[in-house]
This record gives sequence, C-alpha cells and structure tokens, in this order.
Amino acid sequence: MTATTTAEEQQPAPGGSDKPAKARRREMTETTLGRVFVSPAILLMALVALFPVIYAFVISLQAYTGRLNEGFAGVDNYVTALTNERFWTSLQFTLIFTVASVAAEFIIGLGFALLMNQAFRGRGLTRAAILVPWVIPTVIAAQMWFFMFNVTPGFINSLFGLGDFNWLGQSGWAAFTIIFADVWKTAPFVALLLLAGLQTIPGDVYEGARVDGAKMFQRFWYITMPLLKPAILVALLFRTVEALRVYDLPQVMTGGAFDTESLSILVQQYVVRTPDPGLGSALSTITFALILGIGLIFVNLLGKDLVIGEGESK
Amino acid sequence: MNGLTNRALWAAGGALVLVAVAACTPGGGGDEGGEGGGELVWAIGGSEAQPGGVHQKVAEKWSEENPDTPIRIEILPDEADQQREQQALELQAEGSNFDVLGMDVIWTGEYSTNGWVESLEDVREDIESVSLSGAFESATWGGELWAAPFNTNAGFLYYRTDLVDEPPTTWDELCEMAIEIGEQENIGGYVGQGARYEGFVVNWLELYWSGGGELYNEDQTEVAFDTDIATQATEFLANAEQDGCLTPGFNTAMEDEARNVFQSGDAVFMRNWPSFYSVVKDGGTPVAENFDVAPLPTFTGEGTISASGGFNLAVSAFSDNIEGAKEFVVWASTNEEVQTMLATDASLPPTMESVYEDLSDDPVMALLGEVLPDAKPRPPSPQWNEISVEMQRALFPAYNGEGDPGEASQAVLDFLETTVE
Repeated sequence: MTATTTAEEQQPAPGGSDKPAKARRREMTETTLGRVFVSPAILLMALVALFPVIYAFVISLQAYTGRLNEGFAGVDNYVTALTNERFWTSLQFTLIFTVASVAAEFIIGLGFALLMNQAFRGRGLTRAAILVPWVIPTVIAAQMWFFMFNVTPGFINSLFGLGDFNWLGQSGWAAFTIIFADVWKTAPFVALLLLAGLQTIPGDVYEGARVDGAKMFQRFWYITMPLLKPAILVALLFRTVEALRVYDLPQVMTGGAFDTESLSILVQQYVVRTPDPGLGSALSTITFALILGIGLIFVNLLGKDLVIGEGESK
Repeated sequence: MNGLTNRALWAAGGALVLVAVAACTPGGGGDEGGEGGGELVWAIGGSEAQPGGVHQKVAEKWSEENPDTPIRIEILPDEADQQREQQALELQAEGSNFDVLGMDVIWTGEYSTNGWVESLEDVREDIESVSLSGAFESATWGGELWAAPFNTNAGFLYYRTDLVDEPPTTWDELCEMAIEIGEQENIGGYVGQGARYEGFVVNWLELYWSGGGELYNEDQTEVAFDTDIATQATEFLANAEQDGCLTPGFNTAMEDEARNVFQSGDAVFMRNWPSFYSVVKDGGTPVAENFDVAPLPTFTGEGTISASGGFNLAVSAFSDNIEGAKEFVVWASTNEEVQTMLATDASLPPTMESVYEDLSDDPVMALLGEVLPDAKPRPPSPQWNEISVEMQRALFPAYNGEGDPGEASQAVLDFLETTVE
C-alpha cells in the first residue's frame, strides 16, 4: 500500500475529481488479476464438472428408441420418469437410506471422535484401526457383507445362532443390511472429520468451564457442540451427498430386490442395461437437482459458520 | 553398476510404454493389410478369453493355419453387461477396431436391428447343417442368420446319489422328495438361481416352458404368452418357498451361491450349468463322490426342457476385413477340432452336433447331448434386456409372497404386448 500512495503523490493531479476514479481503476485491476488467476481452474472445473451436467440435461430433452436419437422430446422424459411408480419407490429407498445411514454414522462417528480425542496409550493405533473399514473399496466391502449376511455361508447367522435367517431375502431386513454395511464402512470417515474439528477447540476453554463448575455433559453440550458445528456440518454435507447417490452397496448386496433400488441403480439401468439415454439422463438430472438442492441447504447453513465468512463481513 | 542398472530399467520402462502405446493405437494392425489381409481382432470376454483360456487357443490355432490373416483377442470384461457396453461403444461410433464379436445369445436381435453385424445368410448352409438347432436359432433374428454359433449351455438337475435313488421327472415329485429327504437329513431341498437377476428369469422360464408355455410365436411377430401356465409356474415357486422345498436363501442365490449350498451338502437338488460338474467333483467335500446329473424335470413328466445360453460369433459391419472375419467365424463354428477343444479344454458345451457323439464317454457331454436338442433359447429380441427386467420386477415379488402370481403374469403379458408392433 505504501508504494501505491507514494506513486499517487508524485503524480501531478490534473483534476481533483480524477482521483477516486483512478483508485477505482486500481481496485478493478486487482480484481481482474484475481479473476485471471482463477480462470484456468474455473475453466477446468467447468469442463469436467459443468459440461457433463449440461450435456445430460440436453440429452434428457431428446427422444430415443434404444440408442437411436428420434429428435426433440421436450419434457416427455421427465413426465415419464415422474409418473413411473418405480422412480418413487427408489426415491423412497434412497431417502430412507440417506437419513438412517447418515444419522447412525454421525452418532457413532461422534463417539469415535470423542474417544480418539482423549489422550490414552495406543491412541495412534486406535485411530489407524478405526479407519480400516473406510479404506476398503466399497464394492469389496459390499461383497464381503453379502457373504456375511447371506444364508450361505451364513457367518452372521452362525455367529449369533440365528439358524437360516434370510437377511437379504426379505423386505425391511434387506434395507437394514445395506444401511448397516454403509454405517460400518463410513462411520470412521465421519469420525475423522469430527476429530479434526475437535482438535481445533482450545483446551483452556474446557479448563475455564471446569473452574466455573460445568459438569461433563454441560461441557459437551455448551462448548464442544457449538464449537464443533462447522465440522459437523461439513461431515453431514459430505455424507448426505454421498448417501444420496449410493449405487454399489445395494447393487452388489441385493441387486435392488426387496425395495432396495436406489436412484443411481435406476439411472444406471436406463443408461447402460436397457439403454434409453433420454430417460436415463432425465433421471440423472432429477437426481442431480435433488442432491444440489440438499447440498445448497448445507452450504447455506455452513456459510454462517465459516471463518472466511466472518472475515469478509468485518 | 548402479547407473547402468538404472539405465537398463529406464530403457525397459520406455519399451513397455512404447508397446502399450502401440497396443492402444486405434486400428493397430487391423488396417495394414487392406483388402483381405491384416490382423483380425476378436472382441470377447470371460475367463476363457484370458491368456491360457480356450478362446486364446482357438485364436492361436487359426493364426497358425492362416498366417495372412492372424487373429488377436481383445479381452473384454467378465460381466456380460459390461462386454455389451464395450462393444456398443465401439459399434455405435462405427469403429473398425473389432472384426469378430463374441455375442451373448440374447443380443442377436439388438445387434442386428442396430445394423452392427453382417448378415451370414450366404454361409447359412455350412453352419445350419452341423449346428444344434437351439443354438442355431439363437443366432437368427427376423428369419435371418446374424452370427455363427460357437458355444451353448443348458441347465442340469444335480442330485445326491446317496439320498435319491431315481431323479424326479416332474417338478411336484422333485418338491415332495426335497421336503421329505430334507426333513430326514435336516438339510435344504432344492436350490437354483433365485436372486433377482437374469438367472432367475432363466430358472422361471424353464418352469414356464416345461408347462408348455411360449413367449412369442414362431417368427416372433406375435405374443404367445399363456398367463395360466405362467401363474402355475410362479405359484409352484411360491408354494415351494412356503413349504420348505426351496433351500433357505434360494431367493438370494446366484450360480455360485447355489453351488456352495449343494457342495457343502446342504441341498438335495440343484439346478445349475454343466461347468459346475467338475467344480463339485474336484471340490473335496463328501458330496464330490455322491452326486450325479439328470435332465431337468417338467410339469407333465414328459421329456425335459432347458434354457440355453452361450456365445455366438458375429462379424462387425464396420470391419475392414469382412470376408476374413466371416471365414474365421464359420471355421470356429464348424471345425470339429475347435469345437471339441471347447468341450475338452474348458467344459464349454460346443454347438456342433457331431462332437457330442464323439464325447459320449464323458458324463457331462453325454447328458448335454441328450438335453440340448430340447433346449430353448430366450428370445434374442432387441428388447430382451427390458423384457428380462420387467419379468424380474413382476415375478420375483410374486414368488416371494409380496405380490399376486396372477397379476404378475398379467404384467408380463402387458409388457410383452408392447414389444411387438
């Protein structure tokens, strides 16, 4: 800033009214420069992220027979998708799956995080061990839980003496096993995110509260939770968005039987198995809009808590 | 010394990259020879396409005999759906990278309707005279021949010889025996492919066909679906599920889960493909010495019926060497040595009728020779995948007590009606 001021002082001012305009121009240059620096990244993002979304939307307005394009169809594909009972069943499963798995992952993940935040012998080992399920590729985890729950070989049944209980072969329980497998796999990820948040809370806040006579639960509720809120929102955002596009777990474990067909399975079917690119793109655009909407709600909530947001408003 | 090793490593790495680049270059080799020459590319998937598999041996044999038009295998993924997707991507772009296509028997209609494969009408005689009729039928659509049959498949009834004296000939008899013996031995009864996927449709069709039902008329212009027989087939499964004829977990079992149940001695009967014979035989469980195979039962006790599977070889319409590719598919389909290799090297059932007579000492091939003349292909309609998905959606809940069998039959009929003009 000093250099700028001296430069301006040395210049003979042609007129008093010119000065604010010049300053504005300088400001503009800085913003423009910022934009120039950012533009390659934005361009790249647009190319890899925005283009497929727009392209899918364009395709969703076309009519197809098999893979052959039959011209413009308007919103016909959307009408077909939204009037199909199958869409609503899979939407219902996707939402149940999302709410149930994210809730369970949050509670278990928070427990893990609080545990790992304590100083105890073997903490490093515990942290590493807890992360093991998250490292396993989802398809493999799904295949593994299929073996565990399936009647043959029936590991879970023999472990708990349940005989030939058919976990995957009946309504309700089939959805339960998929949610269970997802919680097993992703709770550690939530724990990791929350642990990162916990470690930013300074210890002296707790000391102060202890001096003031706050009980353990009070410390948790009035200190940990509010200070952890940004981390919680980030974790919930990540998990919700991911849960809404679940594909591999139900595909591998049940193949979508017993009302466990997710929106992504439906999209995959119309894009790959029984090709109707128009309908498939319409379904994926609807899924995208749903996820974007829910994502925006989270980002909005998050915006109020972000440190950057606070810095800007000052 | 160290520097030298490093340099050698770099050189080797560089060479590898070059080889990889050459292998990935579109049309690498295929275009070189121009008319009637150059390397052919055979796009096929599955374990037999891997190095050491029988498809590779077939390719080597051809290349030795025809050094002018050698053939190379482009290995596709294991899953049939993914193989189809790979081929579709290439063919939709009218790419000439694939000359010969390994085509599942149910894709014939789709490929021919899309104009992706060459008609083989001019060599029809050579192929029809030596092939099994069911296998031949699966390579035709709209009365025209689109591929050369290569290997086929049919369902067997596996049964425990230590528990069953004579294999059942009707489905009802099978369930009576399954329940009675199952209770005595405290094991499950009948296992097959009951999970919600293509295999379930195959199992259900075998019930439906064995009651005399059909999906379409002869030339597939009209729907011939019989809702009464369909309801009978679904009700049979629903009852079997209720009264313990089916093993627990029947409705989540695919081929390998079924094999697992049978092999570990937890089932009296199993419906499965012939290739599992050697798996169970070499499995090392007590069942290995105590099982045999029989034709699948029917509802009437007359004859047998089975859904056929397998792969045909088609010639890509966008190949640079259509004549060479045609010669190869006819050769693979009608050469006795090649067809015998399929059976002896890989227990893949060949499509050439005479091979079964030569191999009648082998129990699997002998039974295949008996079963295959009555095997029926699923209709190779362009919409087969849609039909299969709709059948799964209607019939699977119905046999699991979550839907009405009669209504399910009606739903299948309604959908089939939409597939014909």
